[in-house]
Amino acid sequence: MSLARAVNPNENETSTAAETVVMVQGLSKVFKDFWGRPKAHAVNNVSFQVRRGEVFGLLGPNGSGKSTTVKLLLGLLNPTRGHIEVFGRSTRHVATKRRIGYLPEESYLYRYMDSAETLDFFGSLFNLSSDERQQRIEQLLEMVGLDKVRRRTVGEFSKGMQRRIGLAQALINDPDLVILDEPTSGLDPIGCREVKDLIVELARRGKTVILSSHLLADVEDVCDRVVIYYGGKIQAMGSLKELLSTPDRLRITMPVLERETLEKVLAMIRADLGRKLPETAAQESVVVDSPSQNLESYFLDIVKKARSSAEETSGAVSGGTVARYLRSEDSERVQAKDRILERLASSKESAPETPVPEKKGEAPAALSEDASQKLSALLPKTPLQASTEQAASGETSPASLQSEERRENLKKAGEKLSDLLGNKGNK
Amino acid sequence: MKQILAIAKLTLKAAFRFKIVALLSLFLVVSVTALPLLIKDDGTARGFIQILLTYSMGLTVTTLGLATLWLSCGILARDIEDCRIQLMVVKPVARWKIWMGKWLGILILNAMLLGGVGMVIYGLLEYRGGRLNEDQKFVLENEVFVARGSAKEAAIDLTETVEEIFQDRMRQSSLQDVDHAQLKKQIFEMLKHQFQLVPQGMMREWDIPLGVNPAKLRDKPLYLRTKFIAMSHNSTFDDTRTFPMFWEVGPMDSPQSWRVVMPMTPNVFHEIEVPPNLLDENGHLQVRFINNQNETFYFDVNEGMEVLYREGGFLANYLKGLLILFCWLALLAAIGLSASSFLSFPVASFFAVSVLILGLSTGTMSQVIEEGGITGVDHETGKVEERGVIDHISVFFFKELKKLTEVVLDFSPVELLSEGRTVTWWMVCKAIVQIVILVGGVFVALGVYCFSKRELALPSGGQG
Repeated sequence: MSLARAVNPNENETSTAAETVVMVQGLSKVFKDFWGRPKAHAVNNVSFQVRRGEVFGLLGPNGSGKSTTVKLLLGLLNPTRGHIEVFGRSTRHVATKRRIGYLPEESYLYRYMDSAETLDFFGSLFNLSSDERQQRIEQLLEMVGLDKVRRRTVGEFSKGMQRRIGLAQALINDPDLVILDEPTSGLDPIGCREVKDLIVELARRGKTVILSSHLLADVEDVCDRVVIYYGGKIQAMGSLKELLSTPDRLRITMPVLERETLEKVLAMIRADLGRKLPETAAQESVVVDSPSQNLESYFLDIVKKARSSAEETSGAVSGGTVARYLRSEDSERVQAKDRILERLASSKESAPETPVPEKKGEAPAALSEDASQKLSALLPKTPLQASTEQAASGETSPASLQSEERRENLKKAGEKLSDLLGNKGNK
Repeated sequence: MKQILAIAKLTLKAAFRFKIVALLSLFLVVSVTALPLLIKDDGTARGFIQILLTYSMGLTVTTLGLATLWLSCGILARDIEDCRIQLMVVKPVARWKIWMGKWLGILILNAMLLGGVGMVIYGLLEYRGGRLNEDQKFVLENEVFVARGSAKEAAIDLTETVEEIFQDRMRQSSLQDVDHAQLKKQIFEMLKHQFQLVPQGMMREWDIPLGVNPAKLRDKPLYLRTKFIAMSHNSTFDDTRTFPMFWEVGPMDSPQSWRVVMPMTPNVFHEIEVPPNLLDENGHLQVRFINNQNETFYFDVNEGMEVLYREGGFLANYLKGLLILFCWLALLAAIGLSASSFLSFPVASFFAVSVLILGLSTGTMSQVIEEGGITGVDHETGKVEERGVIDHISVFFFKELKKLTEVVLDFSPVELLSEGRTVTWWMVCKAIVQIVILVGGVFVALGVYCFSKRELALPSGGQG
């Protein structure tokens, strides 16, 4: 279910002109006690708009008003002040709810029903025909990795499995607006990645996603725009690009260059900077490093290997493909292409397993040992590197020392993860 | 409708999977089966079967009634408190449909339980009845396992006589200051009392129109259901002795008239089997009582004489009786759901049980209305002498509540079944309209309104 997101250079222009799906204006919610006295100002004068096809994040610490905003959007609470429109209608308008899917922050499912029954029940609330329900149930259960445990009641599920079935029920109606409250809460890293991929896929299909979370990585990975809540108020709002970019810095990522080429490039850069900055500052402001793989990518890689040797698990298995009815045409094409590539790749037994950056927010792959050595030689040595070099024997370079140390650490982490996954034999 | 049915199905699933149905069914079947071992009857097979029927159905209705209240309070309140309702209301289903779906689910559950236990009771009655001797079977089949219609004498019209006596009194004495309406009422009561008395050596005749084609009752026995009070010489009631009562049934002076002397005790109902084919050409039955005792007998206009005749079989009658019981359960479900629409589960349960107790306190209501209040009742007069605001409010409240209660409790299917009387379709329709549509409708409207307005995601679990 790994999906790369297409970059649209005209994204801003198109989204500005796009249909407003959610319009919130001057929204306030005051919780009152039995006697009508104000108890808590959960949301205070909040205004924002969400446009079609956007992944919009509500970000904030616990108790900041994110979930209350979500509940106001869904008509589960009445605003004390302000105005909300969803698809141009009141939040209480019944027919509009046909276009909305909602995953609450907790599992609010019926514990005595199994997965298939749960989806069948919610499907029938959308007046879906029996055949349609069955088709979607099959696809959704496969998508969330619960098709093998479809007859186990929800009460017997782990928290992660409950999140998965909760997500499936939110998508049973192929909604135009998906509201997800802490969707990755309780999920393992694989589940988190799948949910995030799914969100991206939904957005690609023109669906609007509102994501409420306090997990910064989730929001950063998938959201186009975010509002940051604190104390019921919006503290910041805008696209991630606007909020996170540092315009006075530049980062270039590329394949490893020959030493001579790199020297030339660095000399040019330093010469250019030397005209504006003192020499020392010009030297220090240029940093060349090999980006490291982040833990999520590394974990997913380890699990992928472990899964290929492990036969069974009593819990949820990794989800399959996105349900057919939720997939976009682009995605179908991408998947078809992926399958061809997979076939080609599988024919080469010794194909290197180099992690490839799949989407934004994910770090590029690690450099080879040789490339690291080249880079180290080009860059001025840091005091730490210098001392390490002095301490080491003349035969071992600092870069290779670092690389070996890193490899050792990664190996240890890999063993730990394999143990956790019960694949000791896979060390 | 699909959505309502889906929610009803969900409610049923909950009841089955939490083993509520299994437990209730087991309890009811065991209770109903074990009941005959515990009950005391009058020694006759007829009495035993009547008591068995009354107790079994009473137990079933009480158990199912309380279970319905508990379940209906819990099924919605728990969903709200545990936030499960949030996932339902964010779907394109109107809140009234959710409410009605829950109600329908409880109704289907009640129908299943009542139907199941009803069939067990019916089977037990048939089994018990089948083991009796032929004479007892005959009595049962004609007096209990039957649907009998009933007819009474037309209401007496004393208006003209009252007016004549009133005018006569007015001429005789100056009664200008007297309340005329009150005086007429007193004259009416006096005449009515005299009309109900049968002194020594006198005869009382009842001309009872059966209202059915006499051909339909050809060769079928009729039953006189009568009750009297013996008034001894010192004008006190005496119900310890047995009197040989002389009855004549059939057209006056007809050779076909049937005569019988029956030993009877006062103050209890007696049924006298009358041979067939004694109706006149208009379908009327004349019944005469000749008082040849040294006593005066009192026959109440309402309860003194009634003719019962076979209309149909017991099973259909029994099912109609169950339908009326089901109407009561439907109302209880509406009360429970209505309470849980705006209250938490414990408070809703308390509220619903309070409503039930209040509704069944008709005796207390009548007493308060009669005494004119609830404070400072004078023990000698039995009235509240100085009525305050509270008394006025309580009397008004209880009067209205009594009217409402009477609309609901104006049916006695168990009593009718045990007496082998017909539960008419009219009664069933009336029960549906009065209990379910009118009174139940008030609770449904209240519940749906509160549920529709309620904020379902409040931090305290949604209690408004």
